[in-house]
Amino acid sequence: MKRILTVLLLVSLAASAAVAQAPTVPGIKGKSIEINFWTHDDANRNPMEKELIAEFMAANPGVTVNYSSYPSGKIFEKLTTAFAANQGPSIFNVAIGNAVSFLDNGRVAPVDYKAIGLRNAAALEGLYLPGMLSAVKRDKDIYGLPLELTNMCLYVNKKMFREAGLDPDKDYPRTWEDVMALSEKIVQRDGQIITRRGFDFRTDAYPNTFIPMVEQLGGEYVSKDGKTAIIGDEAWIKALQFMKDFGPTGKNLGAPTYTAARTAFDKNKGEVAMSFSGLYQEARMKNTNPDFYNSKDWMVVPFPQWKDAKKRVTANYSGHYYMVNVQSDKLVQKASWVLLNYMLGHGERYLEKVAVVQPTKKLTQSATYRAMPYSDVFTKDFDAAKIVYIGPASSRLSSLLKAAIESVEVGGEDPRVALEKLRKAAQAALDDVE
Amino acid sequence: MTTVRKKRSLEARRNSWGWFFVAPGILFFSTFSLYPICNALWTSFHNKKLLSLKPPKFIGLQNYAKVLSSPDFWNSVRASATFCLGVFLPIFIASLLFGVLIASRTRGRRFYQLALYSPAILSSVVTASVWAIMFDPRGLANQLVNGLMGTPGIDRRWLADSTMVQISTMLVYIWKTVGYYTILFVTGIGKIPASVIEASIIDGANPWQRLTRITMPLLKPTMALVSVMIFIGSLKTFSTQYLFTQRGAPLEPINVLTLNIYNTALYEQNLGRASVMSLLLFATLLVLSGIQVKAAGSGEDM
Repeated sequence: MKRILTVLLLVSLAASAAVAQAPTVPGIKGKSIEINFWTHDDANRNPMEKELIAEFMAANPGVTVNYSSYPSGKIFEKLTTAFAANQGPSIFNVAIGNAVSFLDNGRVAPVDYKAIGLRNAAALEGLYLPGMLSAVKRDKDIYGLPLELTNMCLYVNKKMFREAGLDPDKDYPRTWEDVMALSEKIVQRDGQIITRRGFDFRTDAYPNTFIPMVEQLGGEYVSKDGKTAIIGDEAWIKALQFMKDFGPTGKNLGAPTYTAARTAFDKNKGEVAMSFSGLYQEARMKNTNPDFYNSKDWMVVPFPQWKDAKKRVTANYSGHYYMVNVQSDKLVQKASWVLLNYMLGHGERYLEKVAVVQPTKKLTQSATYRAMPYSDVFTKDFDAAKIVYIGPASSRLSSLLKAAIESVEVGGEDPRVALEKLRKAAQAALDDVE
Repeated sequence: MTTVRKKRSLEARRNSWGWFFVAPGILFFSTFSLYPICNALWTSFHNKKLLSLKPPKFIGLQNYAKVLSSPDFWNSVRASATFCLGVFLPIFIASLLFGVLIASRTRGRRFYQLALYSPAILSSVVTASVWAIMFDPRGLANQLVNGLMGTPGIDRRWLADSTMVQISTMLVYIWKTVGYYTILFVTGIGKIPASVIEASIIDGANPWQRLTRITMPLLKPTMALVSVMIFIGSLKTFSTQYLFTQRGAPLEPINVLTLNIYNTALYEQNLGRASVMSLLLFATLLVLSGIQVKAAGSGEDM
């Protein structure tokens, strides 16, 4: 009997300890609220967040959290439609390039510093690496907590390099010229149809990867004052010509109409030898193809530079910040910040399970981060990186950029003609904002 | 006098019941059709941004001027018109042919109808996704065409080439909708009085003569109805173009009006201009619907 009581006591202590980890929302006693939480799909992150939310709800019986996840390509549409009807969720996240329109239209609540145990915005900024909250800072307030900030490096399949008679450790690409030359060596085709790609671009990440190609040559998408589109025509034309040469109307080395390179890379079925992605891809690879992840057949190398680059520019980083709907009830806002602070307080768990990096000082200095394969490569590139262009027209500029690149790469349009079209449309988008 | 009054009150009572029964329909139409149309009209004269909480400013005809002077809009008009014309004849001929074939069969009629109609019940997004996989350079489309033509290894660039991507969207649309129009033709043929057919058989008409001299002329109202419906339906096409551009197809060749409206509202967040384009599309559809109603009316006369 004594033993049973001891076991029961230990179990109840353990249970209460687990519950006690989650904080209680100040002023919630006797009230009941509902938090609608919208995020994008991630097979690794979603179950983990549900666990954290369950712990939070156990500690706050008056709070119900409805957690919904949507495909990453769809969540912006869902959010925009919901917010346009003033029916937005209490908590949401979307890529920062798109989030800025919510922020600048006054749809987001500032962080409730007191609710998360901080004195002010400066105290919050002190927890993160310098500049990591700038994207969500307006005047003196901060309007989001980073879920992840991601820069992209080049994943290399060493086995496929060897199969092409290359030594991956010596021959991995340093320059864009190398990327093209290596792709030509590795590519395999059945007639015109590519069966093995040396490398391929990410169609969803041109602001992250293509714009730095232009910037390395001295060009810019938007001028520093945010008023002029397309600076440095020669840089643009060279970068666009690279895309044209790479695509099906040029050397036929890859195209956006093939399976996404990073997905094919993880499968390791000999389809793609090089692909861009962030550190999070390691967790996806581990999940979908643990044998490949545990093999020594892959590595990560820095973002390539042009041979005649005017400056070193690594891939622009982008990010997701969790935000709170300003139209929610005040208590819901408070509870939302407490919940987010609790969830994001498990930075190492996010890193271990999802391989997403919250740019906190604590996490980036942790042993867990340093133990992640090639985290040093990502860190070195990240230190030299800047955030993707964010401004009131960033969503539109992003889709115009995609259309221009693909008209050249896939449609075979003359880079000069495509550039003129892009300039006109991008300038109109910027002028519209003013 | 009393009889007239009684008649009137009876009529009024009947009318009030009539109003009672049509009220849900009117309410539904007003909420989900009339209100959005009026709202779009109002929005088209304002600089309304999708996420803005500020009250929109009245800007007169500025949105109309911007849209009508935009090359992007005229490209969309071209893309929509090309799509409409490109799908019209294949859908019309194929559905008429299938309709006649199915109507002439006595066995397995239901099965053929079902088989042809099944793509129409698939979600447009699923349809477009399946076809996008087939149009992958290593997909079924290249294999099939190369197999049939004996040209191994040729990439037809279904989603890459500006002409081919237009043909690809048309193929998907034709495949998805031909069954629906076939059913309309089968119904139209079914409405032709059996006595007329029987009389022609007694008069010694062969099957070809029956088709060209009896069925076709009596099917004219259905043909008119189907023609207008194909135009209306194809002007509203969206999912295939949307999904193909998400999969790397170039936007410009297939940037139909509906896709342009979507991108203007969502990515430019410019509801005013999106409303202008919606209203212009609506006006076109209204004209076509007028013709459709007339065609349907003349069908009833038959």
